[in-house]
Amino acid sequence: MILGIDVGGTHTDAVAVDLGSGRIAAACKVPTDHEDLLSSIVAALTDILGQVDKASVSQLNLSTTLATNAIVQGKTEDVGLLVSAGPGIDPDNYMLCRDYHVLPGAIDHRGFETRRLDPGELDRAVAACRGHGCRVFAAVGKFSVRNPVHENAIRRQVNKSGPADFVTAGHELGGRLNFPRRIATAYFNCAVWRLYNTFADAVHEALDRLGLGHVAVNVLKADGGTSPFVLSRRLPVQSIFSGPAASVMGIIALCDINFDSIILDIGGTTTDIAVFASGAPLVEHDGIHIGSHPTLVRALKVRSIGIGGDSAVYVIGDLVRVGPNRLGPCLAAGGRHPTLTDALNCIGACAHGDVQASQQGLAAFAQERSLSREALAQKAVDFAARAIKDEVRDLVREINERPVYTIHELLEGQRIVPRKIYIMGGPAQAMRQAVFQAFSLSVEVPGEAAVANAVGAALTRITRGIELFADTEKGAMFIPALGHRENVPRTYGLKDAERDIKNQLLGHLAELGAPADASAFQITQASCFNMVKDAALSGKNIRVKCQITPGVVRTLRR
Amino acid sequence: MLKAGKRLGVVFFPAYDWSISPTHPEREERLLYTQDQLKEEGLFDTEGVREYKPKVASREDVERVHFCFPDVDAVATRSHLISAGGAMTAAGLVMEGERDRAFALVRPPGHHAMKVVHGSRGFCNINIEAVMIEWVRENYGPKRIAVVDTDCHHGDGTQDIYWHDPDVLFISLHQDGRTLYPGTGFPRDCGGPKAMGRTVNIPLPPGTADEGFLMVMERVVMPILEDFKPELVINSAGQDNHFSDPITNMNFSAQGYARLSEMLKPDIAVLEGGYSIQGALPYVNLGICLAMAGLDYSCVREPQYDPKALAQEPRLSEYIKELCDLVPGVYFHPPAESPDGFEAKGWFVRHKDIFYDTDGINEAQTESLLLCDHCRGLVKYESRSSKNPPCLGLDLPIKACDRCRDMAYKILEESQIKGGYRYLQLINRKDRDYLRYGF
Ligand SMILES: [Zn+2]
Ligand SMILES: [Zn+2]
Repeated sequence: MILGIDVGGTHTDAVAVDLGSGRIAAACKVPTDHEDLLSSIVAALTDILGQVDKASVSQLNLSTTLATNAIVQGKTEDVGLLVSAGPGIDPDNYMLCRDYHVLPGAIDHRGFETRRLDPGELDRAVAACRGHGCRVFAAVGKFSVRNPVHENAIRRQVNKSGPADFVTAGHELGGRLNFPRRIATAYFNCAVWRLYNTFADAVHEALDRLGLGHVAVNVLKADGGTSPFVLSRRLPVQSIFSGPAASVMGIIALCDINFDSIILDIGGTTTDIAVFASGAPLVEHDGIHIGSHPTLVRALKVRSIGIGGDSAVYVIGDLVRVGPNRLGPCLAAGGRHPTLTDALNCIGACAHGDVQASQQGLAAFAQERSLSREALAQKAVDFAARAIKDEVRDLVREINERPVYTIHELLEGQRIVPRKIYIMGGPAQAMRQAVFQAFSLSVEVPGEAAVANAVGAALTRITRGIELFADTEKGAMFIPALGHRENVPRTYGLKDAERDIKNQLLGHLAELGAPADASAFQITQASCFNMVKDAALSGKNIRVKCQITPGVVRTLRR
Repeated sequence: MLKAGKRLGVVFFPAYDWSISPTHPEREERLLYTQDQLKEEGLFDTEGVREYKPKVASREDVERVHFCFPDVDAVATRSHLISAGGAMTAAGLVMEGERDRAFALVRPPGHHAMKVVHGSRGFCNINIEAVMIEWVRENYGPKRIAVVDTDCHHGDGTQDIYWHDPDVLFISLHQDGRTLYPGTGFPRDCGGPKAMGRTVNIPLPPGTADEGFLMVMERVVMPILEDFKPELVINSAGQDNHFSDPITNMNFSAQGYARLSEMLKPDIAVLEGGYSIQGALPYVNLGICLAMAGLDYSCVREPQYDPKALAQEPRLSEYIKELCDLVPGVYFHPPAESPDGFEAKGWFVRHKDIFYDTDGINEAQTESLLLCDHCRGLVKYESRSSKNPPCLGLDLPIKACDRCRDMAYKILEESQIKGGYRYLQLINRKDRDYLRYGF
């Protein structure tokens, strides 16, 4: 039995899924208490444990807004942020916090140290941070994913002056190139570390109390996978913005998606749009923004548009619009201003709450604007469907226009052509006909969509993406995320790199007590360049990326 | 957060699956470290800076410019069409107002490709700037355009294509042809009889450093541009003037290139050569991108930059100063007669022997300009090479007069009847009539 809990903005949803039968054994919904997330989780667990035997529970997957909230509310900790920048864009642009120190020192794109780290400056910077009371530190170097020597030196120096509570080294966040994102990601990882770990401790205590001490805990990430709790304690930043991922993964568990498809999650005030290519969810190329700061935190490609069941209906001239504002609940739920839900009630697409209130309210609203109720309602629903369609079209175009770097990909690359739409969320069934008309594509509304997010949380598998970089002229191979560096012979090739990265990733997950399904292992990028010096081959420059593909451990049987 | 003062589009296409040969300077690895640097700097996260995918130039786009013998497919591969398409994409971004400026960071280069093409010279097959310019003119009307070529090699291909076009000002800064391929590009070469002074060559001595380049920009290039008042400024942004370039002898730096871009303010920059792929390109390309976006570039510095070792020798500074006194005259007071060629029966004729070093082809060409009082004149290219029998190309400009047009069709008809040419091609920009025979 796997439990899935999704701590959402208003509700905390929980389910228990029986892995053998693929059926939902229990489900519940409790209000989210943002001041005390743990109490919401405990309440949901208690409810579920009233329905299933705790001994049968082997795993708990948790999607929490804890780190997100901490950042949004500024409940973060001071971080000593120490960077080695080298030449390029002025690193002063990336000053994220008071204790930000740029240290002289440089690593180039090949990973050669072109300027040594200044030990005196490093000493002074660490002392200044400690003087300000910093207890967590981020060490970030430009091109540290090619050579982490400066980040490692910073970490050593920080710990020399009295052990720090926690140090994030930039290369551990992954091998992708992007120094400003590395800085921001390392900073936020440190800033929420203590809060997150305190919470993690509390979760464990609560599980012990509930008799679930034996349960393996995984945490949902924004990229549509989960991470073992023990790893997320070191990388708490990866748990932010996991909400949309829970819903998207829920759809995968509920439906058998094979084609290029669009997922619409229509909520109260927004519709989240996700894209599937040949049945697999698309991951954002770079990473999410935290506030105005781009980061390396991978996420499913999800676009939000301000249209949902509670979105207000407006009439501007001849045009009937919906959203993006919310002016309170719908008329059917006692609100004062007509919303999309009221319009759907009026055209008979659903019967939500007090249908008569919708009809009367919308009739009065329409009359004031010399319109018939039916026309107004239909126009509002059409507007919403069309707005969603336009956004989907833009998103798909953006994906298809993404830069590529080989002639082969440019001329023969795959394009996404959506063939099916899946809708979930409150107004899903009601919007079905309008969406079908707007898109002229087959539309499916999965059953049990109401708890899809918790189902997604429960059934999502552990994922991890890592990168390998090898330079046979230097005779070195490096996997930044694992801090793994080894010497390689000049004959080292792409095949060797692909084998090594697979063994390293699977070994790493096994070590964490979370062995991965090797069939979900996937090389996502592999390239090998001849390096030439003085018109002769001097070595190979090898880059490999791999991942445990986001997916679910099984689909739900209905 | 960084915010660009100018909205910059970067069309980045490194063609990671294409090379001339595995160890050739024009190989897969060429833009690898540039991409690493731009990605690591987070350039495309900067507000106002965006990366774009190139379109692919069509055969028509190439045949609007070139006489390719035997045909386009024989001289240009897909990589060349993408490279030219990348330049067109960059121009489109600017012409449509989506971006203030654009940089086509593409390979392979094109500035050694001339009007007639039998193969590859100086790693170039088709002239990507010219394909872009004529695409702009085809879609956005005739334009006054300035091309400033800052590649270390003389842009002899671009010069050849626009030799007779008074509406395209071509300025080339390059290492003196007496010391470097292709061996041309002297101040006396200043354009055909109808476009005198619209070709400006500035040969610089080996060892020229930031000081010399920037002096030429300030004293020669900028005053000429100010007078010419182009509607579009294009920079053929070759990067082989860099002090670390393996095939040239100059001392220009990333700071210098960035400052040059800041002065020139090109609407569109197009990468040309530059083969110090680790020591120069990552820094020079970053510097150019930042300068074009109106961002601070003061911290962009090559690790091996040594201001003392790269200081310009005083005697070079003296020489360049004299050059700066002399060269503006080419534009402001061009000579009365074109230096190269002779008049015969109402035509202005030049003979050219062209060597395609990359492909080892020799071409003998006669270029004849119909001297006309009403327009800049029809141009006729008679060409044969070690690869192709005699071929004929007729180039009728956009603003051609009726007499020149009639003459073009008359020659075409006579040549078909008489035979003698294996391939015939007409580029009629005036009526957009493009004809090919014998292909
Ligand atoms: Zn060059
Ligand atoms: Zn004429």
